[in-house]
Amino acid sequence: MNLPSFRQSLSTLAIYSTLALAALVALGPTAWVMLSSFKTARQIFSGSGLLPSPFTLQGYVDAFAQVRLHEYLLNTLVYAAGGTLGALTVATLAAYPLARYRFAGRNTLVALISLALALPVVGLAVPEFFIMRALGLFDTKWGLIIFYSAQLFPLSFVILRSFLLSLPTDLEEAALIDGAGYFRIVLQIIVPLCRPALATAAVVAFVIIWNDFFFANLLTTSQENQNAQIALAGFRSQFRFNVTGALAGATLVMLVPIVVFLALQRQVIAGLTAGSTK
Amino acid sequence: MIRSGMRLPIALSLAPGVALFATFFVVPFALLVTSSFSEWSGLEFRFTGLENFQRMLADFVFWRAAGNTVFYSAVGVFVQVPLGCLIGIILAQKIRGWKVFRAIIFVPWVISGAAFALVFSMFYNPRFGLLNDILALFGFASRHDWLFDTSTARFAIAGTFAFVLGFTMIVVMAEIASIPKELYEAAECDGAQGWRLHRYITLPLLRNAIGTCVLIRLLSDIGLFDIVYILTLGGPNDSTVTLALYGYRAYLSGEWGFASAIGSTILLIGLVLILSVSRLFRLGERAQ
Repeated sequence: MNLPSFRQSLSTLAIYSTLALAALVALGPTAWVMLSSFKTARQIFSGSGLLPSPFTLQGYVDAFAQVRLHEYLLNTLVYAAGGTLGALTVATLAAYPLARYRFAGRNTLVALISLALALPVVGLAVPEFFIMRALGLFDTKWGLIIFYSAQLFPLSFVILRSFLLSLPTDLEEAALIDGAGYFRIVLQIIVPLCRPALATAAVVAFVIIWNDFFFANLLTTSQENQNAQIALAGFRSQFRFNVTGALAGATLVMLVPIVVFLALQRQVIAGLTAGSTK
Repeated sequence: MIRSGMRLPIALSLAPGVALFATFFVVPFALLVTSSFSEWSGLEFRFTGLENFQRMLADFVFWRAAGNTVFYSAVGVFVQVPLGCLIGIILAQKIRGWKVFRAIIFVPWVISGAAFALVFSMFYNPRFGLLNDILALFGFASRHDWLFDTSTARFAIAGTFAFVLGFTMIVVMAEIASIPKELYEAAECDGAQGWRLHRYITLPLLRNAIGTCVLIRLLSDIGLFDIVYILTLGGPNDSTVTLALYGYRAYLSGEWGFASAIGSTILLIGLVLILSVSRLFRLGERAQ
């Protein structure tokens, strides 16, 4: 064996060991919990064996029958889908004029929205609570949909506007000359053209709303309006009573964004790099 | 550039966005700043000047929260970002299996704080947690309760996110993909090889990407809440409390003015971070 090729294979070994370690640390605890969701409570508490034996779906049955997880999951879906749709609609309508037309205050508005994207919004907790209550939106499903639309507006706006800025204007100008009205141009030319950016913003917004605990916890009190993240946090406190239900619930709640991500990796990755470097 | 017939549709088109933005960002911000200088319980509103801030600065729990937030941020910046960069640089070489590794390493980033908290409350559990089992394999058998010992709780919390490398990895990979191949070819002609190639070409060109990751890391760490709230509620003995949680406690006890002062402090730190980190890494300027 000659020295260069020996060093080559040594560094390949080092690289793959690093990657394997990173993968293990990234997913190990989560994978272990997902596996444990198919164990019996007795096996979990005894801490014996990595694989479920015996295999049981009791945790999943409990999660639905006792905790009524499906109701929380449905709420989460309504918020994520409604908030995403709202944010994208409003962001498209705002991004188009702010990308294409010059008028007084335009740059200030764009700068303010971009700043709002960066600032840590948890700082605004108290006034958000106060405003939601003052508007009669506190602890209502519509209220949360509107709130999430507003929260995800800056991110969707930045993604859409930077995409629009990179597009040529020929099609719109041709349509203008043909006498098409403003909203027809938005609907028939801008929206179809922006499809990649819309997909990117939609996926990222959906996952962020799905995963929100802070504002869901702040802005709802009744069980019928709470999302699945709150249900999970509740599981934590009643851990000892139903550990398998908690693990099954966590598995289901995690699985949705994981599946969305794996199915739409390209959009998620594009969204992260667009939202962060622009 | 705007024809007169376009004014109305443009205004109509901007209206919903401006209304939402004003209602949920501008007005709350104005309310936050005003109430920071007031005693406010939702009903009564009394201007009290700097009292909230004086009280905050005199409260040792505030300093503990600030110290912990700095600690969590330091873990983010000095552990998470460098490791993420390393993985990003490795995977950007498109070695065999890179897509699989990219997917696996990215997955934790899409898992919610609440679910992650549940995962780690199991992982750290003193009776049946995986961590103690793993340590036992290496001869450190113990029934240590990582989250309820004041000397280890902070590290246990940091451990939940220190190895979430996906975001940095993705940003670094995207940046490397935009580096022209000719640069590497030229450097190879000059005799550079392997890691030297990355040390002298990749790293300097990653300034923008690394700065972005550091900034985003800091901005999310300053608002760290979910994991700490669910795992420890800031305890034991406030050893894990963060600024966001400290503010939330004030809100829960009905002291909205005081809570707003803490919220303002969080936003102010965020603003200072944006300005200083952007400047430090000269964000927005192209490399060279």
